[in-house]
Amino acid sequence: MLPRPHIRPPMTNGVLGRSAQKRYTVIHIEKGMRRSHGLCARSFSTYEGAGLKRMRKILFAAMAMVVPVLLVVCAPALAESTGHSSLQELADKRIGVQTGSTFDAITRESLPNAKIEYYNTYADMVEALMSNKIDGFPGDEPVIQMIQAENPRIKIVDERMNEFEFGAVFPKSSKGEALKKELDEFIAQLKGSGELDNMTNKWTRGSEDEKTIPDYRSLPAPKGTLVMACEGQYPPMNYYHNNEAVGMEVELAARFCEDKGYGLKIDVTNFDGVLPAVQTGKADFAMSGITITDERKESVAFSDPYYVGGTVMAVLGDEAAGGSGGSGFLGGIAESFEKTFVRENRWQMLLEGVGTTLAITLLSIILGTALGFVVFVLCRNGGRIANGITGACMWLLQGMPGVVLLMILYYVVFGSFSIGGVAVSVVAFTLTFGTSVFGLLKTGVGAVDVGQGEAAAALGYHERQTFYKIILPQALPHVIGPFRGEVVNLIKATSIVGYIAVQDLTKMGDIIRSRTYEAFFPLIAITIIYFALEGLLGLIVSRIRVSIDPKRRTKDDILKGVKTDD
Amino acid sequence: MIRIEHLRKEYSNATPLKDVNATINDGDVISIIGPSGTGKSTLLRCINQLDKPTSGRVWLDDVEITDPACDITEVRKRMGMVFQSFNLFGHRTVIENVMLPPIELLGTPKQDAYDNAMHLLRMVGLAGKAMNYPDELSGGQKQRIAIARTLAMDPDVSLFDEPTSALDPTMVGEVQAVIGELATTGKTLMIVTHEMAFARAICTRVFYMDEGGIYEDGAPEQVFDNPVRENTRRFVRRLKVLEISIQGKNYDFLGIVSDIERYGIRNQIPPTQTYHVQLAFEELVQLVVPNLDDPKLSIVVEWSEALQAATLTMHYSGAALDVTARADKLVNSVLRASASQIEYSWVEGAELPNQIEVTIR
Repeated sequence: MLPRPHIRPPMTNGVLGRSAQKRYTVIHIEKGMRRSHGLCARSFSTYEGAGLKRMRKILFAAMAMVVPVLLVVCAPALAESTGHSSLQELADKRIGVQTGSTFDAITRESLPNAKIEYYNTYADMVEALMSNKIDGFPGDEPVIQMIQAENPRIKIVDERMNEFEFGAVFPKSSKGEALKKELDEFIAQLKGSGELDNMTNKWTRGSEDEKTIPDYRSLPAPKGTLVMACEGQYPPMNYYHNNEAVGMEVELAARFCEDKGYGLKIDVTNFDGVLPAVQTGKADFAMSGITITDERKESVAFSDPYYVGGTVMAVLGDEAAGGSGGSGFLGGIAESFEKTFVRENRWQMLLEGVGTTLAITLLSIILGTALGFVVFVLCRNGGRIANGITGACMWLLQGMPGVVLLMILYYVVFGSFSIGGVAVSVVAFTLTFGTSVFGLLKTGVGAVDVGQGEAAAALGYHERQTFYKIILPQALPHVIGPFRGEVVNLIKATSIVGYIAVQDLTKMGDIIRSRTYEAFFPLIAITIIYFALEGLLGLIVSRIRVSIDPKRRTKDDILKGVKTDD
Repeated sequence: MIRIEHLRKEYSNATPLKDVNATINDGDVISIIGPSGTGKSTLLRCINQLDKPTSGRVWLDDVEITDPACDITEVRKRMGMVFQSFNLFGHRTVIENVMLPPIELLGTPKQDAYDNAMHLLRMVGLAGKAMNYPDELSGGQKQRIAIARTLAMDPDVSLFDEPTSALDPTMVGEVQAVIGELATTGKTLMIVTHEMAFARAICTRVFYMDEGGIYEDGAPEQVFDNPVRENTRRFVRRLKVLEISIQGKNYDFLGIVSDIERYGIRNQIPPTQTYHVQLAFEELVQLVVPNLDDPKLSIVVEWSEALQAATLTMHYSGAALDVTARADKLVNSVLRASASQIEYSWVEGAELPNQIEVTIR
């Protein structure tokens, strides 16, 4: 539910104007900072104290930016809205479409003059609709119904755009065909007994309490475990409830595996990644609200349809249709907070996401630094050909968009290995971070005067000794500042791993958004968490920076074990 | 002892060393002087292999340094080098700059290295700066530390590559004093320098380098006071030379006069002296050229900064003809008025046997 600011402050807290609310936020943050300062104060010297002060300043600046943004984002709820009641009225309007979905073609067919805009999730489209960025978005009937249930301002145009059938997707291999046959049999059996209709009703119309599925995690699996790819953000077909993958498709898969003696593992990936996952064998099959089309049949095999529905258009209803709503700005924030963090223990998902993001980042930093360093050292003594090859690889890695590199590694390079997305992400970011470290070292070492190396050589130092004892210690101070920047960049860069089925912080946020249909609050929450992570890692690097500064050593450090006259 | 045979160093755009041969004995203090670009620094850098020679061989005692199988780092430990730009290690304190190389390279115990380093720092007068970093020191102080660092390795030979060229004039003296003191200890030193007085004062031997090799090699008294060869003479007397050649009766008189004018301006010769040189030239050619059937003249103007004096030497063809003797001529009196000394001589068998030398102060 979107927060709905009142123009007048509510009667109950009439004294609390908007500025007072802002002040409240600021005080809260300051308290938080003070606490963290207290925790660390013992081990930190004044230098880190300055770092913390700087961090506090940064957080203040962030909050100063966030508060106005909150106000702006909430404002569209007040904006004039125009209800559309027929498809004809939408003929030349802006229509939101989920990237990689069949709605693209469907919309082009039924509304050829509409201006199509692409979004990744329904949550984004709901937000876009609310803020009048689009005038409507098509969706599968059950999905739009669920969205409407969550969001009473949304209206469904009373006209189906087309009919469609969902089918499970299999790779075009003998194994895939065999599985497909088994599933077809199973679907026929469910249809015969009327069980399939019951399932459809339960997931599209039933209450949350009824929506239970067999525990697929502990299936005996005498015939091995199947991996099913799905989006995880597509209620009622597949989505997260209480941090568990649920939905009609998940139930169907679980029942099928139980019946045929398989185990089941759910792999959640972006919708764009679902078909590639099946094609490359990362998943054995996929059910993710995938419409059966002739075009798709060219690259994958479809089971018999397990769901038949229609495409409908969601538009914004009249202002008056507004439902319960929040109670003012603070109430809206509180509700959003409750939805994003508390309900269904979603904070656990975010925590898990933070863990994944941190794990990928830290491993990539460590391995990438090692890789960049080793390659740099080898290149120092390397021949022209070896250095040329290295240069070409660096050029390739640096020039390639992160998503492309990630996809290539996941689907092509490691396509035939059973390597998890986290490992592939670590490999990808190790490579990109390695190139950054290589570049930094090159700049840093280049910044050290050649005379230093000559003086060392003239004294009789070997080339290796010269590098480690003379050149490197002087290059590092040049390198560590930009290194901190690279670390911060890396944390942000990892937010794309959702493309290869890794549930990092961003992906967890997306999953939560797909349940709350609220784009804004989870995004800001995640941004703040990213800020915190960046601050934390930045602080660590700053600490390293101070500890490697040779001028920080005391006389006792320098003359350890020497008896001096004075 | 260092022995150098047929050393040659080529760069893509220049060949500073064409053929260098020399033997440097233990205890020699050698000043290497010569014009810029004659390979003085390159010679030092080829001796310790910071630059690889194109061809030729170098020995330190019985070890051939230029042998690819030679462990050059072992040789370098016995051969110190002081650089023009000091090159102290910026991440190490002064005391570390001096004491760590012996610890790291020779395995000297830390205490011994420290004591020796402090001794050396006291010797160069900088014991008080032991805990400072190089960027906190003046240029002269840095160079004294660099010398101490070199000495800490107790090398057999020390190479000084223009040790005072990068210094403020006020700091040159303190560094020269340290090197001068070092020269009295019997160590073998090779010093590339532009400071002639300093070179002369401390060295036992001088290499004058020119034309791609050691052009003249001798004791300082010989090289500085009585140089055997022409280029050496011009260099040590800091002579600026203008050479003029006249063939036949038609020559560009005005062009040559203005050449002398430009030469005077370029070398900061006082204008009256330039004017006198021009006068002397004008009078001499007017005396000589009309009296020769097929005149061939070679004229050399030299300006000595040290003496603040110019000499104009004219050689010309034909039978013996002392134009200065014709005192009756008006032009001759003008010549005598501008010159402080005029001398005619006859060089039997020379291509241009007549010679007149005019000195202008």
